[in-house]
Amino acid sequence: MSLRDQAAADAKRILEDSAAGFGWPITVTAPDGSSASLKGFSTDVAQTIDPDTGMTVSGRTASVTLPIKALTDAGLALPRGIADQASKPWRVTFDDIHGTSHEFKVAESMPDRALGVVLCMLEAYKT
Amino acid sequence: MSAQITELIDKQDTAEIVRDQIASILRVELSNQETLADDANKDPRLWKLRIFSERANAWEQYLGAPDQDTDDATPLVNVAFDRDAFDEKRSDIFERQATRATFHLDCYGYGQSADDGGSGHVAGDGKAALEAQRTMRLVRNVLMSAHYRYLGMRGTVWRRWPVSRQMFRPRLEDKPIQNIVGARLSLEVDFSEFSPQFTPTTLEYLSVTFKRESDGQVLLTTDYDFS
Repeated sequence: MSLRDQAAADAKRILEDSAAGFGWPITVTAPDGSSASLKGFSTDVAQTIDPDTGMTVSGRTASVTLPIKALTDAGLALPRGIADQASKPWRVTFDDIHGTSHEFKVAESMPDRALGVVLCMLEAYKT
Repeated sequence: MSAQITELIDKQDTAEIVRDQIASILRVELSNQETLADDANKDPRLWKLRIFSERANAWEQYLGAPDQDTDDATPLVNVAFDRDAFDEKRSDIFERQATRATFHLDCYGYGQSADDGGSGHVAGDGKAALEAQRTMRLVRNVLMSAHYRYLGMRGTVWRRWPVSRQMFRPRLEDKPIQNIVGARLSLEVDFSEFSPQFTPTTLEYLSVTFKRESDGQVLLTTDYDFS
């Protein structure tokens, strides 16, 4: 096994380890309505951002990182931002640490095909 | 060296008064617009704005990504004094200095991505931009209305002028979950600033009469009250 194969296997194992790692149940729903329950790494934190008005203000960012293989095994394509308002967006749902469910839309995705993971930047979504 | 100013400087500069006046005008007029919209059987929430003055983080209310139809999603306006430049030609070195000040009226719109109930969705980024521009539209129309030619301070304010409109978007790498777009209306206002003066002391009363003779000669007659 090459070092890259080893790194990819490690990344998948780390992302999906919900027993001893940071793996977390995440539901991914495609625009056509098909969905899959996966495990990955999720964040939802507040931070300061710069709206270019000359001052930094509070903002909240959320993201998920998922193994690409888990998505393809579930029959899903790579999530991406959907600009067309006539279509449904890619949606991601996961609980916060207190068990409250939050639903998001995928605003932007950044696949890393070397390690086999995809980082999705999220924005709030109301159904 | 001893202090020369014997009176407490307990006043606002005109720039501060004008800034507060702009915020007051927006508050009063937009509240009235809500009433007028209600009377016209239109949704008054489209005229509802929250007005702030000199706040750096007024949009904290958007942090929890509130639903679009809640009060926390109401557009914001922050009135801030940015800068001014004094005009020596229209000023004197003693009492009054004319200045041209720029006030920033930062309008923030929030948009939540949501299911449209059909086969598509509402994009939050576009919604936020439209909300910010709608807010800036209301602000500009109020402040540039004929009723506020002098911002309600005739004699103090000589001119107000919308210099520019500019849109602001958060930097791409930050990608907040709330879609917030800013729109800045820069408003120039001309007024004078005043400063503490000597308290005058009456030395003597004089009565002076100017007369012009038929040949154009000017004569001056004075009465002195000797005591």
